Amino acid sequence: MANALDQAVETAEAQNVALTPQEGEGSSVATPPPLEPLENTDETAPSDGNGTAEQTATPNGEATPDAQEESVPEQRAKVNKTGIPIPDRGEAQPPLDPAQFPPVALNNRYLVYPSMALPELNSPSAMAYAVEDRREPGRKLFGLVCKPGLPIRSRLMTELKTQGIHGMLPMIDYGPVFWSPIDQTAIVIVFDRPLGGRFIDSFGDRPPRVNEYELGKLIVEPIAQAISQLTQIDFAHRAIRIDNLFFMDKERRELVVGECLTSPPGFDQPPIYEPLDRAYAMPAGRGAGMSYDDMYALGILTVFVLLGYNPAGRLTDDEMLSGKAEFGSYQSLCGSERIPMSMIEPLRGLLSDDEFERWNMEALDSWLNGQKKTPIQRRPAPKPKTALKFAGRSHMTTRSIAHAFCKNIPEAIKVIRNGKLEQWLRSSMQMPELAESLDALITMSKVHEGTPDGSDDVLVSKIAMRLDPKAPIRYKNFSFMPDGFGAALAIEYLRKGNFQIPGEILARDLLSYWFAAQENRTPDLISQDKTFNALRGFAKINEWGYGMERCLYELNRSLPCQSDLLRTAHVEYVEDLLPALNEVADHTDTKARPIDKHIAAYVATHFKYDIAPHLKAITDPKEETSLIGLLSLYALMQWRLKLKSLLGLSSWLGGLLSPAIGTYHSRTTRRKIEQEIPALVRQGSLPELFDLIDNAERRTIDAHDFEEAQIAFAHAEAEIDSTVGEGIDQKKVALEAGEKVTAMIALGISMLATTLIIFVSTM
Amino acid sequence: MINQAPELSPEERRKRGRSNLTWILLVLAFLLVLAAPTMVVLVMGMLPTLVAFIIDRTKQKSNSFCVGAINFIGVFPYVMDLWGGMNDFSAAVAIIGDFFNLLVMYAAAAFGWFLFLTMPSVISSFVIVMQQRKVAQLRGEQKDLIDEWGAEVAALVEMQKMEKQEHHMAQGMDGMEMETLGD
Repeated sequence: MANALDQAVETAEAQNVALTPQEGEGSSVATPPPLEPLENTDETAPSDGNGTAEQTATPNGEATPDAQEESVPEQRAKVNKTGIPIPDRGEAQPPLDPAQFPPVALNNRYLVYPSMALPELNSPSAMAYAVEDRREPGRKLFGLVCKPGLPIRSRLMTELKTQGIHGMLPMIDYGPVFWSPIDQTAIVIVFDRPLGGRFIDSFGDRPPRVNEYELGKLIVEPIAQAISQLTQIDFAHRAIRIDNLFFMDKERRELVVGECLTSPPGFDQPPIYEPLDRAYAMPAGRGAGMSYDDMYALGILTVFVLLGYNPAGRLTDDEMLSGKAEFGSYQSLCGSERIPMSMIEPLRGLLSDDEFERWNMEALDSWLNGQKKTPIQRRPAPKPKTALKFAGRSHMTTRSIAHAFCKNIPEAIKVIRNGKLEQWLRSSMQMPELAESLDALITMSKVHEGTPDGSDDVLVSKIAMRLDPKAPIRYKNFSFMPDGFGAALAIEYLRKGNFQIPGEILARDLLSYWFAAQENRTPDLISQDKTFNALRGFAKINEWGYGMERCLYELNRSLPCQSDLLRTAHVEYVEDLLPALNEVADHTDTKARPIDKHIAAYVATHFKYDIAPHLKAITDPKEETSLIGLLSLYALMQWRLKLKSLLGLSSWLGGLLSPAIGTYHSRTTRRKIEQEIPALVRQGSLPELFDLIDNAERRTIDAHDFEEAQIAFAHAEAEIDSTVGEGIDQKKVALEAGEKVTAMIALGISMLATTLIIFVSTM
Repeated sequence: MINQAPELSPEERRKRGRSNLTWILLVLAFLLVLAAPTMVVLVMGMLPTLVAFIIDRTKQKSNSFCVGAINFIGVFPYVMDLWGGMNDFSAAVAIIGDFFNLLVMYAAAAFGWFLFLTMPSVISSFVIVMQQRKVAQLRGEQKDLIDEWGAEVAALVEMQKMEKQEHHMAQGMDGMEMETLGD
């Protein structure tokens, strides 16, 4: 075998025959413990409560008879014979009819073929399809079609488009396309096709083992290079795992780490690859992380490749995490393995549970260059005099008990309230200060009894934060690191369609509590704390443009608008929003308004001008005010963003404006406006439409004239009242008038006669 | 709103009536001193007017004016005779002592009565017709306003009516309370 991989495999091949590891080369190579065939090796975790757990061993070889009682966490990864977890990348789908599903063009250059799936290149969160470059027809490419709604790493994609990362699968281009098989718009990311295939597939049925001599150059070096270059642009890969390594060339010399763009950071990683604090979080909430987290994943990957199997393969995730918490990652994974001498130092460094002690790139480079580094002396976790029994297991660390508490709230509350925990902390753990602070928490909880702040879930969540401050925030099975709250929020909404639990977390102010519990308040943490304070303010406002939707978009700036109205569209930039609504106007119910909570929140997040008055108007209970607010907002957007004619949207809005036109009192003005609307709709200009509907001068005249009309009406009414009003005897009044007139006539006659008499008598 | 003069209490009205009567008597006494013959003719000739004035309980005193004006036509020629001839007391007594003269004066007053009894009903018929026409015209104007501005143009009027109603109700309640207190 010519290439480096084949040489490495050759070496490993001699040592391993399927499931029975044998003596490795040289005395430094460890002999792995015998791995018994698993009953359901392809589909399930090694121990899922079917009896195998009884025979599982802790890293130091002690049996854990209660292991089968552990609840199995959400298992997203398949485990092969070697015990190495591999995320499910989906099965091969039946081929689609090319006539029915023709290729779609991405950015007018790349043709993506829905009928030509490439399941071997699938990612856990994205399906792979053949791609053809129109400019270079022979170029080998493939595209990953992202799941709509799942947050992807757009900022990193933007960076990768302008600069390549050595040691990482080259990304060529990306963009939205209408993906006919799902009848939705989805993001497609085009990559160079790795001609040598997936690293793990190159072993076939053999364990993926590489000896320590080749491991550095073949695997660690390219991955380290990728991590280093990503760090320079302020990103972490967060998807370094054995099944995400590819060979770019047919000869399998050039190894690269695969993509990390199609899902949130760490989302597809089996928990074992994650440092302990992030591993406790649910996949969506593991957070963006840093290069330290990539280094840890590299350490785990190195262990797998070095041994050819997963030393914790028989353990459930909880057992594995418990072992890591108790003995440390290195000790729990490699403690009973025979690790080559030359690898002990880097593995200890990479698998250090304290990120400040973990090897950085400089240390790794030194090692790769053959320089030795002082071995890290691990400080063991404080050992209690006695273990705390909880939920059928004995817990030796506060980390482990905190994790167990969050999984069984009713039992945890009993242990907390009956003082068992406090006693254990005082007497066994020698942590009286921690016990005091927990006591204060319990007292506070009693003060708030009967309110949401005094609920058991909140108390257990806060106690878990005190017991294990570095662990994620865990509340009602929603666990996340603060830098992963955005992605967790997005995926929670994607799955459940609501923000119930994240909303409660903000309302209960658990994030502030977490930040307060941290010993090292780094600038990053302080900045995050400020962000969450602002978010809490948004979440409290129950108006369109605010609420949890606003939090969703503030935290996931690249998340497309999730409005139901835009289900078939992909709106990633605010400039695309009105054109997208314009597009959907032709095939949607135009009686509904072209806005909802998501659109309002999306615009409030991304549109840089002050739209608070518009949003206030939109949420006004009066329909006409709300419609004018909506029209004014979209008119402002069209004007500010210099968007072209929006015929569909103008027509849609024009059809809804009757109540807004009704705000004019004058029927003549209303008729005039109604007659002018069609002409403006044909122009597609929302600012002009708005000017027609809400012209200040016209409104002033209308209001003034209306006031005069009211006065005229009142005068008429008063006159009528005085003539035929209530309590007025019309005949009597008329008779009185007649009498007056008669008297006047008589007086007139009298004056006339008197004058005549005077005249006649003086003649 | 049309401002109406505050209604006077019976006591005040009586006081004011007495005051007026005093003034009239004073003026009459003065005139009697200055032009006694003329005043004798006028007083005797216009007795029907005095009667009409006394029996006319209306505020406007239209009846008195009507009878008085025509009555004066009957009296005035004799006053003129008096002024043109011997303007002394005996001449005045001679005029009023003549039955025919009195007949003329009182017949004029009777004609005044006749006018007052017949004319108002005829005129009131006209007034009623004109008022109805005016109301119809105002209603038409209001309808035009509603057609142009909608029913809300009457909001002001409706508000005034409501206020009026509330005012009446409040007054009614006050009255009831007073009655209760009185009991």
